[in-house]
Amino acid sequence: MRNILAISGNKKHPSGSLARNRKQEVLIGVLFASPAILGFFIFIFIPMIASLIISFTDYALVNKMQFIGLDNYAGLFNGSDPFFYKSLGVTTYYVLLSTPLCLLFAFSMAVLLNNDSIRGKAVFRTIFYLPTLIPVVASSMIWLWLFNPDMGLINTILRALHLPTGMWIYDENTVIPSIVIMSLWTTGGTMIIFLAGLQGIPRQLYESVELDGGNAAHKMFYVTIPLMTPTIFFNLVMGLIYGFQVFAQAYIMTEGGPNNASLFYVFYLYRTAFKFSKMAKASALGWILFIVIALLTLVVFKTSKDWVHTEGGK
Amino acid sequence: MKKTVFWIGLIVLLFTLLSNVNAGGDQEKSGKAGAKEVVTLKFTYWGGPDEKTAVVDAIKGFENTYDWIKVDAQHIAGDYDTKMATMIAGGTEPDIAYLNLGQAFPWADANKLYNVYDLIANDPEMDKSDFLDSIWYNWAPGKSFGTNSAVESMAIFYNVDMFEEAGVPLPPAKAEDAWTWDEFVHVAQQLTIDQNGNNALSSGFNPDNIKQFGFQFSTWYAHYMTMVYSNGGDYISKDGSKFTLAEPAAVEAIQKLADLMNVYHVSPSAVQAKNIPGGAAGLQAKKVAMKQDGQWSLLALGNSGMNFGVGVLPKLKKSVTLVLGAPTVIFSSTKHPDEAWLLYKYLADAQNVLNLVAGGLWMPILKDWYTKPELVSKWAEGNPAHPEGYKDAIMRQTLEYGVAGVEYYVMNWGELDSLVNPALASVWLGKKTAKEALEEVEEKANTLVTGRYGF
Repeated sequence: MRNILAISGNKKHPSGSLARNRKQEVLIGVLFASPAILGFFIFIFIPMIASLIISFTDYALVNKMQFIGLDNYAGLFNGSDPFFYKSLGVTTYYVLLSTPLCLLFAFSMAVLLNNDSIRGKAVFRTIFYLPTLIPVVASSMIWLWLFNPDMGLINTILRALHLPTGMWIYDENTVIPSIVIMSLWTTGGTMIIFLAGLQGIPRQLYESVELDGGNAAHKMFYVTIPLMTPTIFFNLVMGLIYGFQVFAQAYIMTEGGPNNASLFYVFYLYRTAFKFSKMAKASALGWILFIVIALLTLVVFKTSKDWVHTEGGK
Repeated sequence: MKKTVFWIGLIVLLFTLLSNVNAGGDQEKSGKAGAKEVVTLKFTYWGGPDEKTAVVDAIKGFENTYDWIKVDAQHIAGDYDTKMATMIAGGTEPDIAYLNLGQAFPWADANKLYNVYDLIANDPEMDKSDFLDSIWYNWAPGKSFGTNSAVESMAIFYNVDMFEEAGVPLPPAKAEDAWTWDEFVHVAQQLTIDQNGNNALSSGFNPDNIKQFGFQFSTWYAHYMTMVYSNGGDYISKDGSKFTLAEPAAVEAIQKLADLMNVYHVSPSAVQAKNIPGGAAGLQAKKVAMKQDGQWSLLALGNSGMNFGVGVLPKLKKSVTLVLGAPTVIFSSTKHPDEAWLLYKYLADAQNVLNLVAGGLWMPILKDWYTKPELVSKWAEGNPAHPEGYKDAIMRQTLEYGVAGVEYYVMNWGELDSLVNPALASVWLGKKTAKEALEEVEEKANTLVTGRYGF
């Protein structure tokens, strides 16, 4: 307390003591932030470094650890592991399919729910947001039933409409699209962020479009979308990051099947670590994923200059 | 400078943490506790409610018999492997525990598990030959981390009423009478009936609308490997150098099973099976007439009150059954190996877990319980879970024709299975022949074959 008073009272002192006070200020700031900093170090940073070190060893829970250099990484990349490329491919397919679809779906929902002429907007917003609050385990159980080829609701409806039915998550070719459909259901969070972005668009811009004789399409493509690009950019990056970490659906619904068609990368990592006790290899898998996500995020950031609209212009 | 100190400090801290992980398991075994000094054993196990109750009772009995031993028994309901992994990584593993084989073999290789042969050698009351021969898990010559917690094997379970309605003879209970494959398929066809009442042998049979299936089996290894063994095949070669499931004997057995689904339509496909209730209910609801399953299903069948029977599985070349289970192990870090062995023996004695054995969930692991009539009568007869024919179809079949399943001897089994089992999915769906699917994965599987346990 005394320090804080001292800082506020010392504002007009010459530069030497100002520097000293700056230091004190930083110290206090750091102290206040220390729970968060410690938490980050103990639960995130140190384990990360530990896993990096472990990834260069042959650690398998019970053995004496030995450094084996890049063997874990080499073993993964040289194709001797039958699941590595498969799981990377499956996960990439999922991300490529789900990220754009989720963005499109959430954006469309947000635009619709931002429309003043819709009655009971609050109710609809709640309905579309609600699935986000359901734990993924519960929603997986629900979708497991919906996807059941014989008794599931989806096929029952299709049958009633005399449309062809599908095997959904029980077929190699449809399992990923099925999980993507399921992920669309839980885009409420993304939708809310879009809604917030939409409400930040100044009304007068739409009015000027109207004055110039523009229609709804003009409003959408010349005002809404350009001004929404920062929000789209944010959701795109988050979608990529979370997409690559998809896990629970494989863990609960498909166990990576059929024929490893939904062997998501993180599920494979989990299996390597906890079923086969290969902690070192799992750590290497974790770091590869980290680098993949970091690189992709970097690429998205690099390209953002060309398409993300910022207030200050390009 | 400060930064450097910080980083050095951090790295030192990390290595201390990591080295502790290793040190945890290697503590010196302190000398044997004084005879009457109170000793506490930590024991972890899994299982459903019935199993838990029985184990809790058994532990109470044990503590009464050996009043200087306290057992801290921890029932782990879910995610057992992850919890064991965490415990062993943190050096807080139990003294004695149920363990899944995916962990048991690598941990035994790393000397984390006690060689139970050493304990038996020091025990005047017990001999290795007291246990069933097929249930020892050996990880090296003369080294075993123990036997199954309970014995399980595969058999046919059937609804007697459905056979009588169809006028079909019941499945044989004795190995020497076992059906040949063709006889078996013929029976299954008679018992498979579509919505119009036509059976699978009649010309009007509609395979798309089946009301009752003749035979149901699952697609995990215990089911197809029983037939592979029966046909003289194996998962890996005798010397443990090669994947042999793509060889003719194994391929033929797997194809025959798949044909039951896709050619004869007497067994539900993986999808159709989702509409058939599991356990005893599928038989009871007359959705299936015969089921291949583990002997543990007797518990549910006995409780259902239905009129069921047990029989031996059909044979291809010879009549066999596959033995499976999971081991109880003693961790080498235990400070009380003698007391842990007492508990191990106590749990191995069917008398102490009689509810589970007579109830049908478990089979005993000691030979006497299979051969001495006064012990056999305590569990294998005179109760609803053990119908007539049980002693031949399961008890003797296991004792005399039991083959230890793949998990007993295939090194790196978990990873192999995670490659092969998904590949077989297309065989069960009829999209590929067994030969095609298995030859496709043969090369990859061979890279995962690392050897054969069992000495």
